[in-house]
Amino acid sequence: MATEGGVAWPHRWGLGKAMEQCSVELSMAWPVGRGVAVEEREQRSAAREEGNRGRAVLATVLVVDTRTSRFPGRRRLEKEREFPGKPSPSPVPRAAATMRLHALLLLWISAAAAASRPPLDTLGIPPLDEAYFRGGVIRCRDGSGKFTRDKLNDDFCDCTDGTDEPGTSACPEGKFYCQNAGHSPITIFSSRVNDGICDCCDGSDEYGSNATCKNTCWEAGKAAREKMKKKIATYKSGVIIRDQEVEKAKVAFAKDATELTKLKSEEKILQGLVDKLKEQKKLIEKAEEKECLRKEKEEKRMKEDAEKQAANENKDPDASQDVDSQETHGNVQEDESKHDPEIQDDTSIKAGPGDESPPKDTSAEPTKEQEPTHVNSEDLSREELGRLVASRWTGEKVDEVSKDDRKEHETEHDMPEPSEEALEDELDVPEPAEDSYNGYHSEVEDDRLKFDDEDFSNESEDEYADDHDEHDESYKSDDDQKADDHSVHSDLTASGQASWLDKIQQTVHNVLQTFNFFKTPVDLSEASRVRKEYDDASSKLSKIQSRISTLTDKLKHDFGKEKEFYNFYDRCFESKEGKYTYKVCPFKKASQVEGHSSTSLGLWAGGPSPLVNSTCEVL
Amino acid sequence: MAGRVGDSSPAPSGHHSSQASRTHAVRGSSVPDPPGPHAAAAMDPPPRWRLIPLLLLLLLSSSSPAARAWKKDEFRSCNQTPFCKRARTRGPHSLDAPLSLDAGSLFVSPDGSLTAVLSHPSRLRPLLLRLSALPPHVLRLQIDEDYSANTPPHRRFQVPDVLLPDVEARTLHLSEPKTAGGVSTLALSSDVDVVVKHDPFELTVRRASSGDSVLSFNSHGLFDFEPLQESKPEGETWEEHFRSHTDKRPRGPQSITFDVSFHGADFVYGLPEHGSTSLSLLPTRGPGVEESEPYRLFNLDVFEYLHDSPFGLYGSIPFMIAHGDSASSGFFWLNAAEMQIDVLAPGWDGAASTENGRIDTLWMAEAGVVDAFFFVGSEPKDVIKQYISVTGTPLMPQQFAVAYHQCRWNYRDEEDVAGVDSGFDEHDIPYDVLWLDIEHTDGKRYFTWDHSAFPNPEEMQRKIADKGRKMVTIVDPHIKRDSSFHLHEEATSKGYYVKDASGKDFDGWCWPGASSYPDMLNPEIREWWADKFSYENYKGSTPTLYIWNDMNEPSVFNGPEVTMPRDAIHYGDVEHRELHNAYGYYFHMATEDGLLKRGERKDRPFVLSRAFFAGSQRYGAVWTGDNSADWDHLKSSIPMVLTLGLTGMSFSGADIGGFFGNPEPDLLVRWYQVGAFYPFFRGHAHHDTKRREPWLFGERRTALIREAIHMRYSLLPYYYTLFREASLTGVPIMRPLWLEFPDDKETYNNGEAFMVGPSLLAQGIYEEGQKSVSVYLPGKELWYDLRNGSPYKGGVSHKLEVTEDSIPSFQRAGTIMPRKDRFRRSSTQMVNDPYTLVIALNSSSAAEGELYVDDGKSYGFEQGAFIHRHFVFADNKLTSTNIAPDNLGNKKFSTDCVIERVIILGLSSAAKKAIVEPGNQEVGIEMGPISLRRGSSSVAPTVRKPNVRVVDDWIIRIA
Repeated sequence: MATEGGVAWPHRWGLGKAMEQCSVELSMAWPVGRGVAVEEREQRSAAREEGNRGRAVLATVLVVDTRTSRFPGRRRLEKEREFPGKPSPSPVPRAAATMRLHALLLLWISAAAAASRPPLDTLGIPPLDEAYFRGGVIRCRDGSGKFTRDKLNDDFCDCTDGTDEPGTSACPEGKFYCQNAGHSPITIFSSRVNDGICDCCDGSDEYGSNATCKNTCWEAGKAAREKMKKKIATYKSGVIIRDQEVEKAKVAFAKDATELTKLKSEEKILQGLVDKLKEQKKLIEKAEEKECLRKEKEEKRMKEDAEKQAANENKDPDASQDVDSQETHGNVQEDESKHDPEIQDDTSIKAGPGDESPPKDTSAEPTKEQEPTHVNSEDLSREELGRLVASRWTGEKVDEVSKDDRKEHETEHDMPEPSEEALEDELDVPEPAEDSYNGYHSEVEDDRLKFDDEDFSNESEDEYADDHDEHDESYKSDDDQKADDHSVHSDLTASGQASWLDKIQQTVHNVLQTFNFFKTPVDLSEASRVRKEYDDASSKLSKIQSRISTLTDKLKHDFGKEKEFYNFYDRCFESKEGKYTYKVCPFKKASQVEGHSSTSLGLWAGGPSPLVNSTCEVL
Repeated sequence: MAGRVGDSSPAPSGHHSSQASRTHAVRGSSVPDPPGPHAAAAMDPPPRWRLIPLLLLLLLSSSSPAARAWKKDEFRSCNQTPFCKRARTRGPHSLDAPLSLDAGSLFVSPDGSLTAVLSHPSRLRPLLLRLSALPPHVLRLQIDEDYSANTPPHRRFQVPDVLLPDVEARTLHLSEPKTAGGVSTLALSSDVDVVVKHDPFELTVRRASSGDSVLSFNSHGLFDFEPLQESKPEGETWEEHFRSHTDKRPRGPQSITFDVSFHGADFVYGLPEHGSTSLSLLPTRGPGVEESEPYRLFNLDVFEYLHDSPFGLYGSIPFMIAHGDSASSGFFWLNAAEMQIDVLAPGWDGAASTENGRIDTLWMAEAGVVDAFFFVGSEPKDVIKQYISVTGTPLMPQQFAVAYHQCRWNYRDEEDVAGVDSGFDEHDIPYDVLWLDIEHTDGKRYFTWDHSAFPNPEEMQRKIADKGRKMVTIVDPHIKRDSSFHLHEEATSKGYYVKDASGKDFDGWCWPGASSYPDMLNPEIREWWADKFSYENYKGSTPTLYIWNDMNEPSVFNGPEVTMPRDAIHYGDVEHRELHNAYGYYFHMATEDGLLKRGERKDRPFVLSRAFFAGSQRYGAVWTGDNSADWDHLKSSIPMVLTLGLTGMSFSGADIGGFFGNPEPDLLVRWYQVGAFYPFFRGHAHHDTKRREPWLFGERRTALIREAIHMRYSLLPYYYTLFREASLTGVPIMRPLWLEFPDDKETYNNGEAFMVGPSLLAQGIYEEGQKSVSVYLPGKELWYDLRNGSPYKGGVSHKLEVTEDSIPSFQRAGTIMPRKDRFRRSSTQMVNDPYTLVIALNSSSAAEGELYVDDGKSYGFEQGAFIHRHFVFADNKLTSTNIAPDNLGNKKFSTDCVIERVIILGLSSAAKKAIVEPGNQEVGIEMGPISLRRGSSSVAPTVRKPNVRVVDDWIIRIA
């Protein structure tokens, strides 16, 4: 997950890398006593970022100690706590860069665990600012006034911006600097000074309170350094992974792109064949129709019953230009149970995020249910009334509450699983178990938010068909999904595209050649052969088209500069937080799952960055 | 952790609406809708897929007008309430059987009270009247049936445990009345007497010297007292129906009605709790008054209450104060049944408006007895003190309770709690208390924890406590009917629940589902309840955990008007109708007692209650319940809090930001600026609202909110001193202007501005984008802008430009306010910080003020462990003297705190130094800013570091 920061890290780390080789810990432990930062800007800004100590640590690598001075001890500060065994750090002259390492080593050995306390006239002042306070009369930084040096840190606020009280709590707007030798310096609000709570790991903020602060800088610094090292390692391995991903992506992308090109050309050819077969089929049907009419006439004379029957048979061919009416029929029957939700699907996707207008299916609804005003609490049972009134405060659906309730104590309210799942389907994902090829192609356009690859996996529908209630939110595991894709794919490609396509072409050619449609009555076996070939070919065609649309859709996404997220397309990530499980499927959707209930957190909106963010946070 | 959807959707309780949240998510936003009042329309779960259109409709249909009309129907109007309708339609002096006083029965009984019989030939039982007096000017009138003549199956209910236990003992021994011409006169004090007219019975309290009436009872002949009946007369029905509910009323009609007149009054105030933008109680009936309901006192959990309506809300205090430029008086009727009160416009009785300033009122109650108190004050504060003398002084809160509270329904889990806690630190915003609402429990079983969200409650509290902060958890009266819940099992087996009309444990619906309610009228049950707060019983509680009592009206979701049926039965065979308004009071009382016990009576309890009754001030704070995030509710919060203060509930506030809905960021900022002055200062929000911790609205607004909270923290010494005053006298923290300026008529109905104590005046900003505001500054002295020290003349209205950084606020010339100007994480860390005194000199270059300090938590102050200083500035000298009485005990409190800064507004800038005595130490005077905010300019002579200790006597002389 090489974010910008991630890329930046190793780079910055490079500065300290030489030292790392020497001794990471040593270099980290450097800032002892008061220091002047070489990279001062860096250091100050870093220190300001509370909670990002890592950066400060890095920055302090380059801090060089120059002066130390003993705390002179002033009236207000008499109560100060002495640090046990505080050695006096040796003054270090400004050294040439080449000498720094030696100086550091010495310092670290002699004073690593010691916290030195600055004198009153430097108390709470960042080393870089010390110069500002040197004169006899000092200006408030905001220009609002000035003060004499004896008013510096005299525990009375003279500058409202806090200039004169960097080391006390007297000015509400002030900041206190703790050097935190052994760790990284931080700047805290003046209000933390002597408030009885240890804020600086060196305890320097509690020089005048009753609090006894242990100097924890060394331990904290060590931990921070460890953490930093780990982080660096993580980033490093991240960069490696990223590079690998980029490589893999290249391959996968090329593969997909090639496939797409191939499929497109196949589609063209196949389309031609299908068209021809269709033509044939039409002719056959016309012939059959004629035949029928002829038979009809004959039979009419013979029987009234037969006549009626014949009339019925005529209907379809009459009305239809729809060549595949038979298939359509078949599918409709097969799919009857699924049909409704599917319609819902479309409408709710339109209505959901947008105008919220009720889907047209509401017309099927008893009007009573549509009107909130029907809520007449007088008709409710006592319990229903209780739930209803409670729901005003909670904003919950009444049945939700009861569901919760049921969960809580076994229970008496036996109602159908609340419509959660249904809604889920409607707003999010279509069932993978779609069995309908017909109309599929056009649907793709509307369902851009859906995952076509799932729809495409029709071959394995049976696997999915039943468990959707339970797992509607969860994807098939990645492997399964790939397997599906693969199976589909192999269906099209396994036997070698050339031979597969050739075979079809050959067969169709044969069929077309053998078939003599001038022959009357139509040769039934030939007619059915044409039909079968047509069915096969158009089925293949629609599969190819689906696959094309899937691929096109996939390739449309922005997978990052180097397509580094290409392989995330088919993956999902899960993270458990308390009782919730968060699932994020990059480029698809995210959801929050609690037990059997699942809440959609939204669909993929495009662009890799939101994904990266949410993924990172969730994981 | 941004992995969760907003705050609203996956409520940690696990019973969140996933439909709703999903809709939000798909809309690409975690911004929840305002909670739809219709959001629960489905009676039977419709087929799954059909729910969507329904849901969409529901989401679309949460527009408020329909919602309001719809809700209104769920509450009884006066017309739907037979006793109210009957009483309200009756004309003056039109009763068939007016009661008369039997002159022969009048005598002073051995206990010093005066008793008499009220009767009428048509009545089965006469009534017994008792008049007693409490010094200085309190008259108590009690009227009940004389059960000796004829005993009904039940007696009328007299509310126990509300009056202070020593009220009887403090009763004066009255002298024999003088009777002549059907009128008896009784001296109450040297200045006040009572005139009792015999037939029909009428009572007038008047000033003896002038003969001016102050208060009168039944001067319009509306006093009616429905006698209890032995049994239901043939053919009559006692049942009452409201919506689907039937009230069997097995004891028949028993209402009481009477009229009370306040003479010399321009306005009447009081009778909380109602949403109102008017400080005074506007007339509900009479010429020129739009059709209105009477003020209703009936504790109800009203969903999204109206900001301006006489309908009853969560609490009831049947106490009214009248004020005019010549008189202040008060009337209190101790009765816990449903009460309706009309304020009658002049001419309502057909009489031409004659007398200058008289306000007539009509009081109607469904049951109970007459136990009424007449208060006669020369000043309005006297009236409050008299009321407090019978109902008790407000509890002295701990220091932390006076600081800022952060609440939300709900902080989800320990991580959330830690995040909010550190958020305050990161933004340098102080706060003292973090609250947990119902979701912290295991399935709304109070005294338990949801262990998946709060696995280590003790550790969590300890971490918060390490920063000197406290936590509050909610404990409501509805107990989940769940056989595995020990509290329920115990209450059931001990028979501690309120019973329904048939004698079974009353089973109502509230947050946990089926619930029952402990019968808090019973002292034994209160005792039992109190014990539940011990550390042993309340697992996971620590000494820094305090309590919030919500839903104690009581709220019963499936009950009539969302409360308990009136025919439910309490301890002593008392019907719920008789004590309804006091149920929450007893519950609050028991909880407070629990915390007292827990802390071995050394730790002052903090219990916030939503329901309240007269006397609730003794047990803790209240708030104005579930308000809404709109400007109107911000505006009405001031009259509401002021009214609570006038009626004893000095520790109160409104939810900052508004409970329901999402406040515009500007509204939120204004609310903090106004709310920082509420005595009880808490931010709270509904779970369906966006998060609104102070730092979530950009840097500028964070700074503004921080500033508002800082202002409150700097004034904590002043507030704490005011709380002390309230705990002694009942004079509220936040006061209507007329309480400080009783002669200034301009102030009488000013509900937009308010005083905090005697020294500070603030005016809220209640409109979005308001550019200027007119502020009336009463009195003759100057007022100094709290921010920059600019002086403003008193006695005039000032048109002021509105700035975003504060609401107009002023210090009154002639006052001294103690402050602490160092802002810490919480008030706990401010304990040793030095003080600033801000002196605003009046026209005679004088000023005075007080400072009260104690340990901020214990009861040591009761034995004298406190500092109480009086600061006087006069003749260029600031003197600090001790005003703590020395007869309280031998405990001492001390502190090393010093005064680091004395700002003197109105002092000549020529002053350069001061001498501190004793010691004759010289200290400098420099021009300094009035506040230490960045960019403040130096405006006033400031004594620099006199560093005198607040415990000592000293003088600072301007040289």
